[in-house]
Amino acid sequence: MSGYLVRRLLLLPPVLLGVALVVFTVMSLVPGDPALAILGPYATPERLAALRSELGLDQPWLLRFLGWLGGLARGDLGHSVALERPVLALVLERLGPTLLLAGSALLLGTLLGLAAGLTAARHHNRPLDRWVTLGILLGISVPAFWLGLALILIFAVWLGWLPASGMGSVWGTSGALDLARHLVLPASSLALVAGGVIGRLGRGAAIEVLAAPALQMARARGIAEYRLLLVHGLRGVLARLAPVIGLQAGFLLGGAVYIETIFQWPGLGRLLVDAIAARDLLLVQGGVLVLATAYVLVNLVTDLLQHVLDPRTGGR
Amino acid sequence: MAEPAGPFVRLRRQPGALAGLALLGLVLLPALAAPWLPLADPALTAPARRMLPALTGGHWLGTDQLGRDLLARLLWGARASLLVAVLATLVAALTGALIGLLAGFFGRLADVLLMRGIDVLMAFPYLLLALAIVAALGPGLGHAMLAIAVANVPFFARAVRGAVLEIRHQDYIAAARLGGHRGPAIIVAEVLPNLLPTLLLLMTTTLGWMVLETAGLSFLGLGAQPPDADLGSMLGEGREFLTTYPRVAILPGLLILLLVTGINLFGDSLRDLLDPRSPDRIPDQTQDRRLDRHPRPCPAAQCARPAEAVSGASAAPGLASEAPSAAALLQVQDLVLSLTGQSVPLVEGVSFTLERGERVGMVGESGSGKTLTALALLHLQPASMRLDGRRWFAGQELGGLSAAALRDLRNRRIAYIPQDPGAALDPLFRIGVQLAATIRAHPAPADAPPVRVRAARLLAQVGLGDDTQLVRRFPHALSGGQCQRVAIAMALAHDPELLIADEATTALDVRVQAGILDLLGDLSGDGRRALLCVSHDLAVIARLCQRVLVMYAGRVVEDGPLAQVLHTPAHPYTAALLACSPELGRPDKPLPVIPGQPPTAAEARPGAVAGGCRFAPRCRHTQPDCRTDEPALIEVAPGHRVRCRYPL
Repeated sequence: MSGYLVRRLLLLPPVLLGVALVVFTVMSLVPGDPALAILGPYATPERLAALRSELGLDQPWLLRFLGWLGGLARGDLGHSVALERPVLALVLERLGPTLLLAGSALLLGTLLGLAAGLTAARHHNRPLDRWVTLGILLGISVPAFWLGLALILIFAVWLGWLPASGMGSVWGTSGALDLARHLVLPASSLALVAGGVIGRLGRGAAIEVLAAPALQMARARGIAEYRLLLVHGLRGVLARLAPVIGLQAGFLLGGAVYIETIFQWPGLGRLLVDAIAARDLLLVQGGVLVLATAYVLVNLVTDLLQHVLDPRTGGR
Repeated sequence: MAEPAGPFVRLRRQPGALAGLALLGLVLLPALAAPWLPLADPALTAPARRMLPALTGGHWLGTDQLGRDLLARLLWGARASLLVAVLATLVAALTGALIGLLAGFFGRLADVLLMRGIDVLMAFPYLLLALAIVAALGPGLGHAMLAIAVANVPFFARAVRGAVLEIRHQDYIAAARLGGHRGPAIIVAEVLPNLLPTLLLLMTTTLGWMVLETAGLSFLGLGAQPPDADLGSMLGEGREFLTTYPRVAILPGLLILLLVTGINLFGDSLRDLLDPRSPDRIPDQTQDRRLDRHPRPCPAAQCARPAEAVSGASAAPGLASEAPSAAALLQVQDLVLSLTGQSVPLVEGVSFTLERGERVGMVGESGSGKTLTALALLHLQPASMRLDGRRWFAGQELGGLSAAALRDLRNRRIAYIPQDPGAALDPLFRIGVQLAATIRAHPAPADAPPVRVRAARLLAQVGLGDDTQLVRRFPHALSGGQCQRVAIAMALAHDPELLIADEATTALDVRVQAGILDLLGDLSGDGRRALLCVSHDLAVIARLCQRVLVMYAGRVVEDGPLAQVLHTPAHPYTAALLACSPELGRPDKPLPVIPGQPPTAAEARPGAVAGGCRFAPRCRHTQPDCRTDEPALIEVAPGHRVRCRYPL
């Protein structure tokens, strides 16, 4: 375990470096003069010149990248033109709410997906399997942002049970219950989609796991059905699905962009959308970099989880 | 299995594919036909006629916030969404395929460089990557398409590389190389045609995602720019009016849902059809289902034997003399196992009795139905099989038992030691955990020591007492012999009256085999515990058993005391089997083979065997009537029965 952990940790810096490289490369795709794109047509020539030298546009690409990396190492992601504040501070204060939203959605989606997958596999090729499979199909086919709107319409507008928006600050004073009430709808919109994907792969994995000879032999030893399903089956499915759950974290961190916009959630996704609209490229760059880093770290955790759940992966 | 059918015939048989096609048709056909349909101009604004309800003013679905015809906009929007998604899929698939092809076919440096790059892109949440690209390039449907395509290239590159690697190791590629063909020629001539189905399948299953992602970017205002519209941008613009005119936002989303559901349904069915590893190709797992369905009435025309009822009162005439005897521990009468939907059974007419403390061997070639019969004693036959016939254990009829009663029987009174020691244990749990769960599976007597002590005793009983760390290990860290001893320890956990050892030594090497055989002998030698030893190896049975059942093609063909069967076999098959057993110390002895093959399940169709003796095609003593009527079990000596009209 510790050897594996060390190996995975050693792999982290090159991957993060690669992520930084991709972010930087994508942002260099900006057509024309980036300084003009950022400051807009009404910028004074002095400001344009100042920004050009700040971005290092007069230098070769590689030097610019190294300079940007140096800034990264010092925690300097540049300055947001639109909001006139350091990018890092802006991004970090919005990161918490996004992680809370994506994290609850991941937890809920995983539970939903595992329950659906195991139920379908347990009733393989029988009516319940077909209904659950249909539900899974709808889950992977529904646009998350549309689901969010539909949930608002049903639960906020028509039934009036839950708030559709109005989460001013997640860490505010209104208490955990208020936070939870605001979290239910956005988290559910994401979780239903993530649950669909996890359930789809979970069903396949569960069919294999439940048909394994080891399970049949456990049954021959008189082990109760609930234990076969919830201990052997669940662990087997989780061990296979851990990487998939990690990949879903990627969907959720990206999907948060839509959902935060719809539900006015004060997170990084909404900040990104606003930044894109304002052509605040340094803020976009910083936000994407931080979200991608979070994704890499989540995948590290799920890989470790798989390693813990399946002792054989150590030998592979 | 089903007779071979063309892919389109098989596709038609998939209800999912049909439903998918129907859904797709519902959205696609009107969308594709939009230019020729009598629709209003989707871009024609009419502020005075905004938000008209459905079916008013000549607008089927009413108008939107600018007075445009909603139906026309939906259909034209669906066209735009589909076009962008298809283009993005094509670009992503072709680029990804090219990268995967180069990496997979040339390997080495090309592989390392390309795949590291792909790995870094994979380290990115793809929605964010697409978002960042559009942010840099600026909004627009073309840019959105490009962004989504790029974000999906890694997926295709990886999948294609995997497929290429698989194809590359096929014999025909080696043959092409030997034939002097060079890399590019092989790619064009051999790899591409084999890759195409995989690629088409990947594209079909990805298209749904592409539609969703395009819609997502447009929803955020980064895709289609007014006055152009796709479904996503309509949804985004309609969001403002969600509470007042929900229709304007809800309908485009509903259309996306229908479209994507149709694509996914169709893609799934296509995958089931083309991919042999699809989960739905796995046969249903065995599990306790309600048992009172058994036995079902069998089709009278194909089933000579009348179906027997579970109640026992209506046992078929002529078999009444074989009613359960009080002394017998296990009595099996006319056991029949057949694949559901097939009239000719895999196991048929298996009847035998096991006295308390008796050690009986069951011998036969692989495929003769030994394991199926053994599993059926625990009611653990595969769920795809139908079980008929009657089984009594200690005077109790097993056929009528509930799932709970069967579970209570398993391992407490009848224990099973499987063939493959590795398969007996769940690889994800420590030995100690699985042993403890086995001990706890049945209630302990009041004076029983704690589980930990019982586990240690069981391990000591099977010769694993020395290794105190064993319980903390995972199954893969144990040798095959150790695993088999653990499996035996588990089987002994509740001191069962009947121990079924199913090829318990086959997977082990000879030295370990001898140790396990000695152990099994010790465990059943005192006459308290009955042993049913299933093996293809007569030597194993000769060492352990008092009586032997010979099975051939799903039938018991001979049943008698060990010495009698070994020295004066009555069935020609038993004699042939004995003749081809190697003898220690006689390496020069020629080993005859039995000519021909045992009938397979496919050959066991009506007409193939024509009701004759199953062994007749391979028998050296066949008489004309052997081929017409199946012989019954007849007694040739007290306790020695044979299914042969002309016993040796």
